Amino acid sequence: MRIEEKVKRESRRDPEFARWVRSVAGGEDIRRCIQCGACSSACQLSSYMDYTPRRIINLAREGFKKEVLGSFTIWLCASCYACRAQCPKEIKITDIMYALKRRAIREGTYPARFPTAVMAKEFANMIFSRGRVTENYLVTMLFLKTNWFKFLGMSRLGLGLLRAGRMSFFPDSVKNRSEIKTILNAVDGK
Amino acid sequence: MNLNDKISDKAPARIGFYICHCGTNIAGALDVPAVRDYVAKMPGVIVARDYKYMCSDPGQELLGKDITEHKLNRIVVASCSPLLHENTFRKALEKAGLNPFYFQMVNIREHVAWVHTDKPGATRKAKDLCSAAVRRVKFHKFLEKKKVPYHPDVLVVGAGIAGIQAALTMANAGKKVYLVEREPSIGGHMAMFDKTFPTLDCAACILTPKMSAVKSHPNITLWTYSEVAKTEGSAGNFKVTVKRKPRYVKEELCVGCNDCIDNCVFKEPKFADEFNMGLGKRKPVYMPFPQATPHVALIDAETCLHFKTGKCKQSCAEACDRKAIDFNQKEEIKEIQVGTLLLATGFEVFDAAKDPYYGYGVHPGVYTSLEIERLVNASGPTNGEIVLRDGRKPKSVGIIHCVGSRDAKTNKWCSRVCCMYSLKLAHLIKEHTGAEVYNFYIDMRTPGKMYEEFYDRLLEEGVHFVRGRVSEVSDFAMSPEEEGKLILRAEDTLAGFVRRVPVDMVVLSTGLTPKKDSQTVARLFNIGRSPEGFFQERHPKLAPVNTFTDGIFIAGCCQGPKDIPDTVAQAGAAAAEALALIDKAYIELEPDTAFVVEDTCSGCKSCVPLCPYTAVSFDEVKKKAVINETLCKGCGTCVAACPSGSIKQNLFEDEQIFSEIEGVLTND
Repeated sequence: MRIEEKVKRESRRDPEFARWVRSVAGGEDIRRCIQCGACSSACQLSSYMDYTPRRIINLAREGFKKEVLGSFTIWLCASCYACRAQCPKEIKITDIMYALKRRAIREGTYPARFPTAVMAKEFANMIFSRGRVTENYLVTMLFLKTNWFKFLGMSRLGLGLLRAGRMSFFPDSVKNRSEIKTILNAVDGK
Repeated sequence: MNLNDKISDKAPARIGFYICHCGTNIAGALDVPAVRDYVAKMPGVIVARDYKYMCSDPGQELLGKDITEHKLNRIVVASCSPLLHENTFRKALEKAGLNPFYFQMVNIREHVAWVHTDKPGATRKAKDLCSAAVRRVKFHKFLEKKKVPYHPDVLVVGAGIAGIQAALTMANAGKKVYLVEREPSIGGHMAMFDKTFPTLDCAACILTPKMSAVKSHPNITLWTYSEVAKTEGSAGNFKVTVKRKPRYVKEELCVGCNDCIDNCVFKEPKFADEFNMGLGKRKPVYMPFPQATPHVALIDAETCLHFKTGKCKQSCAEACDRKAIDFNQKEEIKEIQVGTLLLATGFEVFDAAKDPYYGYGVHPGVYTSLEIERLVNASGPTNGEIVLRDGRKPKSVGIIHCVGSRDAKTNKWCSRVCCMYSLKLAHLIKEHTGAEVYNFYIDMRTPGKMYEEFYDRLLEEGVHFVRGRVSEVSDFAMSPEEEGKLILRAEDTLAGFVRRVPVDMVVLSTGLTPKKDSQTVARLFNIGRSPEGFFQERHPKLAPVNTFTDGIFIAGCCQGPKDIPDTVAQAGAAAAEALALIDKAYIELEPDTAFVVEDTCSGCKSCVPLCPYTAVSFDEVKKKAVINETLCKGCGTCVAACPSGSIKQNLFEDEQIFSEIEGVLTND
């Protein structure tokens, strides 16, 4: 174990990040949080998280950007909305989680080689460029960017699927790709 | 009342004995029928019964029926504590035409059933106690409760919001109220506050109308700059001595024009101003604050040149065209008769210097909450501008909760108001300066109407809330951003790491403590204090404004920390309790008082100085001791002290006590 200073100075805080969290859809109520922990207790995945949802909310509104965007928590969130249903202050926690995921992908601060994050990123890229997901491409990218040894172990399953006609080498795509881009840009407010 | 009662003092005792099951409270712990049968065999016992609930209506009726049918003249009930039901059974006797003092109660619930687990042993103890009561009750005598008139006037001590509210309530009910205040003006701590939570209405705006109402009320006699020096007597008849300190300005002449202040030889204010927590300056002749009531100046002899050197040209006196200044004013002693005392002596703010880690008095940027109240206030030393001692506007402010609260090293209790006033100050500081505000708290305690909503509002205003007790305030910078700042170090227990937060200004949310002289005051009025020093209420839930001394009530923070709404409610409650006593117009005295057998009293005066209630005096003509029944509380001190056994006490005469002891010891 490396011994390092753990105390957080004020310079670690990024007020701009806190402001951004408040500006995203669902983030406007983050200051209401009274840190009761109902979200963490409702969350079925919190037992695997490095920061519980309650701590993510606390860190995000204080502007501890590095901790939040580097956490596994946002990637473990299965979007079941249990936290949102339980929250006494009706904070849209799941929506905030999505926003944090997007920002982490954009800034490349997600945990390296963590499958959920990599898959989310590749999934989004594919939709942006082709409008559709091609599963074998997605799986290939996922394994190459996380653990390509595992890819070798999967080769027999891949060949079987190929023989059965369940997988294709040709990438799927929508007819008019520029339209899907326009739609997606509109969603992002661009 | 039955006229035959007097005769039946001598008549052979016909005793009725009743043992109560109290559901299973008693019956479950001892053998009730065995005790009943044991007592039934005792001489003089005519009836012995057990019953499920003696205190119930059928239980009392059973008792009354037996008295008539069996011509009983003594009753013993073995049940719970006399505190609970002695009065119930005495009334039942009275209803059946028997003197209520031909009665003895045995406490076999608290003294036997609840404290023993061994059933045969418990039964034996119950038998002993019941046999003692049966033996003693034979010697009970006909007694009467004395009625004495209750003086309708009231003295309220302390004129903060509690005292003001109580005085106004009683004065409005037509009672004559004396209101005594130690400070030169009424208003107390509330007058020092800027805004009040959670509504943020201005403290002065809601308080000053009440202050003027006190001043102008025809039923209120207001004595400020005065203290109670002595109290004597008891409920309904207190004699109180009040000391009026000289303010060297004649109250009845001064109109508060401030000419004396403007013309003082000190051209500039030079001395620390108490009302502004020393943040402002005043002259030796001063007005405590603009809304001071009474609106009368006063001279501080400690700083006045005339009193210090005798060489002042007295320009203040010359400037006063009403000739109100009187350097020869002396302390005045007032003696008053009142029936009721209402204490609203308030609290003291915790001395922040006692917590060395927070650097109060060391770092100039550390303030107490009360100092901030004065800084925010428009009539305060900075005209409402929040600035540091060097004139800078703070860009970041840290508010530390629980200073002198919830801490075994200082005060263990939660001061109840600090969370809310810290939120209020955070709001005001943010509003006035736009600074980043950090609240460091242990728990956020906001119970009260619209209080939690106020917390929500502060959260949404973007005040930082760090859950963790600050361990130290230091000026030791460990990074460039901390240079020239005060650094607060606390674990953010919700974030899960330790933080260092540099700020320009630190506010210590100091707790509420008992007044330094609360012990002296408690002794002065003969009331009790709880372990931490606040005045003790008679019952924490059911008699919260009463004290253990009849006729003395408490309200406000002298009883414990509380906010303004609770204080006002409690003051109203205390006033109502007082009015209930006053409007009854008399009080009944328990007859268990001491009396002197004049034939044998030798006049040695041993008893006179011993009485804690000054009830024993000496009749110089007869050369005998005299006991004032009204003052006697039945403590028995004089009875025990009398060398010739010439003082006796009703219900505790020798033959009664000895036969009771015999009863306990005669065990078969």
